[in-house]
Amino acid sequence: MIFRTAGQYKTSYEADQALFPVKQDFYLVLGILLLGYVVFPLTASEFTFKALLVPVLIYALAALGLNILTGYCGQLSLGTGAFMGVGAYATYKLMTIVPEMNIFAAIFLSGFFSAAVGVAFGLPSLRIKGFYLAIATLAAQFFLVWLFEKWAWLYNYNASGAIEVATSSVFGITVTGPTALPIVQYYCVLIVVTLVTWVAINLTRGRYGRMWKATRDMDIAAELVGIKLMTAKLTAFAVSSYIVGVAGGLLVFFWKGAAEPNLFDIPLSFQILFIAIIGGLGSILGNFLGAILIVALPVILNLIPSTLGIPVDSATLEHLNVMIVGALIIAFLILEPHGLARFYAIIREKFILWPFPY
Amino acid sequence: MGFNWKSAGCAGIVSLSVAFGATVASAAEIYVPNLSYRTGPFAATGIPLMNGQRDYVAMLNARDGGVGGAKLVFDECETGYNTNKGVECYEKTKSKAVVTQPWSTGITLQVLPRTNVDKIPILAPGYGFSPMSDGEVFAWAFNPPSSYWDGASMILNYISDGDLANLKGKKVALLHLDHPYGKEPIPLIEKLAEENGFEFLPIPVGLKEMQNQSAQWLQIRRERPDYVVMWGWGAMNAGAITEAVKTRYPMDQFVGIWWSGYDGDLKLVGEKGKGYKTISWNVPGSYPVLDEIKQHVVDPGDSLIENPEDMDSIFYQRGVVISMILVEGIKAAQKHFGTAEIDAAQLRWGLENLNITDEVLAELGMAGMTVPFATSCDNHTGHGGGWMLEWDGAAFVPVSEKLSPDRAAIEPLEAAKAAEYAESNAPWPGRSEVPCE
Repeated sequence: MIFRTAGQYKTSYEADQALFPVKQDFYLVLGILLLGYVVFPLTASEFTFKALLVPVLIYALAALGLNILTGYCGQLSLGTGAFMGVGAYATYKLMTIVPEMNIFAAIFLSGFFSAAVGVAFGLPSLRIKGFYLAIATLAAQFFLVWLFEKWAWLYNYNASGAIEVATSSVFGITVTGPTALPIVQYYCVLIVVTLVTWVAINLTRGRYGRMWKATRDMDIAAELVGIKLMTAKLTAFAVSSYIVGVAGGLLVFFWKGAAEPNLFDIPLSFQILFIAIIGGLGSILGNFLGAILIVALPVILNLIPSTLGIPVDSATLEHLNVMIVGALIIAFLILEPHGLARFYAIIREKFILWPFPY
Repeated sequence: MGFNWKSAGCAGIVSLSVAFGATVASAAEIYVPNLSYRTGPFAATGIPLMNGQRDYVAMLNARDGGVGGAKLVFDECETGYNTNKGVECYEKTKSKAVVTQPWSTGITLQVLPRTNVDKIPILAPGYGFSPMSDGEVFAWAFNPPSSYWDGASMILNYISDGDLANLKGKKVALLHLDHPYGKEPIPLIEKLAEENGFEFLPIPVGLKEMQNQSAQWLQIRRERPDYVVMWGWGAMNAGAITEAVKTRYPMDQFVGIWWSGYDGDLKLVGEKGKGYKTISWNVPGSYPVLDEIKQHVVDPGDSLIENPEDMDSIFYQRGVVISMILVEGIKAAQKHFGTAEIDAAQLRWGLENLNITDEVLAELGMAGMTVPFATSCDNHTGHGGGWMLEWDGAAFVPVSEKLSPDRAAIEPLEAAKAAEYAESNAPWPGRSEVPCE
């Protein structure tokens, strides 16, 4: 009914290959952007910004980075948390060495550091595959977190061993530090995430995306049709780590305001991996859906009893929360192993056919 | 990008919950949240502390109907010691809260800069940064009655029989959690080691190695330090103590900070742990205040403790002391501002003008339970000192007179580190907005 595609004729290849070949998709995305850019900022409270919107966006971005590597190129990585750390520490160092630098410049530059580190640890992927590669990236995870702890230069010899975010402003508006308004930080994160997502969508649709997918589906076949595996794998590592590094910079500078090395330890890598798997490997939308499930849902569940006036002990609530989210993850994986994005795709198909399913 | 649909729902839920909160408050109430950790890797040590804090407040509500006519609304927000959850809890509670009690060092680090903007005092008794003591820089942060550097200084004074020169040529190892908390005493001990000619050997224990410290204890066996000072938390304490027993390290040369002196950990080794010492600003025992708590909270079944013996735990009683400090701050503020329902800024004044003397403690039924101390504009710790406790095989007993830190050695370091923090978090407001009154 609403989602009727009948009558939308394509008269050229370009029109058929456009970002939104179906008109309704375009309106949907427009609506979501409107919601993100206009409706939320007008309605959300400080708590909603800090505990829901900003973390969801940042985690979704990190999962997007991982998804390019794991979902599109088929290279399993367990080092996401550490690559986020590289982005965060690089941003921190850039901002302390050149304090007058624009924070966005620092964040986008820091991505190159994590991309370089990612490529270095991606080199083994040329010889090893699957679980063996996962273990090689696990080495990156352990080594980098160890480095964040031991290399005092990284945290400017701070006694606490943690990095702290100084106040900085762009065009006279304070964007980082304690005095920055949550709404400003939300807009900063939203703009970066929108930009990177847009680039990622086009990358994955384009030549490189096809190379990655071919490598993922069967590397020998890909090689036979003339794809250079080395280029495909290393570009996937570079692009993935770049995005993950940017997410790490955002995490510390626009959300947490301070970070200790063990923040970037393996639980973070697993959390991002779960978001990518539950959201749907090989999908862009899935990262956002997964982040909502893994990051926002526990926060919302925590609010429900107090909203309804049910007295539940905070520790009990936490236990319940873990159980509910865990059960939901298992349920989603059983119902739809291809992730939430596939779920959405099925619903969309149904809508297109409705009311005449066959 | 379908992510915003669900977030729209959450925005709705949040606004709903805010609306609910607004309608509930009617009589004089003071909202005192606690960022608790009854779950997660540090739960074993967190639970008794949280219970002590909660029960003291519950006792006041049951016995006196609150404090100065205002009911205390004690609320726990579970963080599981996780910094992400800490942000969430801080944001959730800050609109109504008069205080934030962050508990974890990681959460304190994140919250500290924001409290200047949100105008909420941080109360971190016996934890947080030592330089927080400098009230001229950290106007909104309080860590009474003793800071970590006070603790380190007292430990060194005790093992050197009051004169650090006695340590000359000796070797002191610091077995610490490799984490901002564990690194806290290093700058001070390094400085004192240099001045007094003893050798300082920091031995870090990574968060992943807490339960298996064989490598660290192998190093201790090889280096044979004269003393091992421990800055451990959670599972690390039990790990270190069992490992020390296993390697037969002399227990009377093994001293822990107050968070490493949990009776639950020592009970695991029992008699074999005899001689292990810990510095502490509360002495476990039976005090009138505990009878009151038992009568008004535990016996009616309003406490979360499983059996009344849990009240003997040193950490439970420390929780009681922590809530006492908060409540005394509230009382001071109520008296000064002449209002029952104080706000966060007024509580800040109260915490800055605490004067907990022996008489006050006796009145509260806590004589000898904790150290007397007083805070002021430039002293947000009070530096009350502490006692050395020794494990006698079944319980911790005090083995020293009240010890005092060597403030002359600590102060310059405190000032330097406080200035460093303010500089790296520039522009740091300091006291500019809250003049000393």
